[in-house]
Amino acid sequence: MSPSSPKRGAGQWAVAWRRFRRNKSGLAGSAIVIFFVVVALVGPFVVAYPARSYLSLYEGDAGTPPSFKHPFGVEDSGIDVFSETVQSAHNDLYVGLAATLITTLIGVAVGALAGYFKGVVSDVLLGVIQMFFVIPVLLLILLFARVFSVLVFHGLGLTLIVLILAFFGWSGIAFIVRGETFRLKEMEFVQAARSLGAGSYRILFRHIVPNILSPVIVIATLNIAGFILTEVVVSFLGFGDPNTSTWGLLLNEGFPYVRTDWWVSIFPGLAVVFCVLGFNLMGDGLSDALNPRLRE
Amino acid sequence: MASLIRYIIRRLLFMIPVFLGVAILTFAVGNAAGNPINLIRAGLKNPNPAVLKALTDYYHLDQPVWKRFLYWLWDLIHGNLGVSLSGRPVISQIWPWTFTTLELQILSLILSIVIGIPVGVYSSKHQYSKADYAITGAAIFGYSMPTFWLGIMLIVIFSLDLGWLPSNGAVSVSYPWWGDNTLDWLAHLILPTAVLTYVSLATIVRLVRANMLEVMRQDYILAARASGLSERTVTYRYALRNAISPIVTIIGLGFGAAMAGAPALETTFSWPGLGYAFTQAALTLDIPLVEGITIVITVMVLIANLITDFVYAFIDPRVIVQ
Repeated sequence: MSPSSPKRGAGQWAVAWRRFRRNKSGLAGSAIVIFFVVVALVGPFVVAYPARSYLSLYEGDAGTPPSFKHPFGVEDSGIDVFSETVQSAHNDLYVGLAATLITTLIGVAVGALAGYFKGVVSDVLLGVIQMFFVIPVLLLILLFARVFSVLVFHGLGLTLIVLILAFFGWSGIAFIVRGETFRLKEMEFVQAARSLGAGSYRILFRHIVPNILSPVIVIATLNIAGFILTEVVVSFLGFGDPNTSTWGLLLNEGFPYVRTDWWVSIFPGLAVVFCVLGFNLMGDGLSDALNPRLRE
Repeated sequence: MASLIRYIIRRLLFMIPVFLGVAILTFAVGNAAGNPINLIRAGLKNPNPAVLKALTDYYHLDQPVWKRFLYWLWDLIHGNLGVSLSGRPVISQIWPWTFTTLELQILSLILSIVIGIPVGVYSSKHQYSKADYAITGAAIFGYSMPTFWLGIMLIVIFSLDLGWLPSNGAVSVSYPWWGDNTLDWLAHLILPTAVLTYVSLATIVRLVRANMLEVMRQDYILAARASGLSERTVTYRYALRNAISPIVTIIGLGFGAAMAGAPALETTFSWPGLGYAFTQAALTLDIPLVEGITIVITVMVLIANLITDFVYAFIDPRVIVQ
């Protein structure tokens, strides 16, 4: 639909990028995110110890504090904390990104339908969205994770956690998309499309949804941070996958020994804080860049 | 007045489907294994056949699932949450936990509101100053951090290293901390309250700041200043009143999130509350207890939301008319 003349002014994304480039904390956040993405992609191939391996036990290094050989120390069981933290980055980013991808798709679809159409269906959808705000989501996530991992889906590992997080996590984005759709559906450009004979779904997904991408991008970025934090809690409490390296699992194993082996608790925790901080800063920066209304 | 009553009734009616939704979800999970007797088998190591028979009779496990749900819902509405795997009634187990959890939650909620609003206002009045950067920096750290991890760090510093404060439970078992029962209670409260306050403080400060910045740009603020009102009056009487209404909603939702976030924090401090109990019950697959705690927390969150709605209607009467 875009008029493709060879010479045109800066598009809205170019303008947003120019604004984002000036935002120091947003750039710092992006740098942290890029760092973690690189660690997650390259790290598992270069670290000294494979995931969940007790190799250091046989080297006589179990329970030793940080040293040159083991930068983050070793657990009592012989797990090298540095290798494990690096490999956890891979898995935790997978959880954050996969859950965000699924929730964004569900949230945009449900929100757009609930905002565009009138009647019983959209009322019910709004009710369901609001219901998810009120229910104690974390408790149900823990319960689902426990029951399903015991009985129903053996060996699904982290993907089970992703699916549960996604099931309970799509309502925020749906609520925003619904509000924005509601606001846009009577605007002139939508009426123009309608008067040209465009169908409801074409109007929704070709005209309205592209115009609400900027809040969706911002919330999705912040959601990645939120899902990573939730996964850390789930694993810390012992409801995650015990065979996959995650920061939460390391914290879970480190907590009973925190009196003596403080390094098992500190380093994975710092990794979580910086990773989540990176996504939050990036999200805030994107929010400033994409919503010029909030800028002075 | 009539519209206020209609508003209240509308909010009350909304609670019914929400409550039903949570009831269905928790019940469905308990029955995800088909017959919940399978779950009980997974929870108890060596179940006694007589116990299984008794449970089957008690929970009507030989009936179809929809009938069981109705039985369960009927009991629920009458305040009967069933019997946990330990053989004790769920409801009598839950009461003491509820109070220890509420004690922690309400104290930190009050503290974070009392501290958060003035700090947020200060930060917005001194935008881009050094203090503002420090405050927003501290706030963004606050919500980028797993609550329980901050708890662990504080335990390492103040309990294990310095030995100033106790790190687990709500009271001492053997002899009271600081030699007095009231001081003992206080000493146990300090660390978990500090963690919880910091985390909810972060959200509140951030929101107050953002809303104040937006409101202070409005024309009526300019008009108020032009008519010669003091900066203090303009800030607190004119701007804050308008900046605060969205914050009330967030505090209400935040209370729900905090209640649900309790498991990790309470586990870290071995705090004998609902969250800690929920974690233990879920790990041991004590489904009746898990369902009971979920329902109690849901009811508390719904009540908190109702209070939020009333406060909101009081601050911003426009919502009643809609």
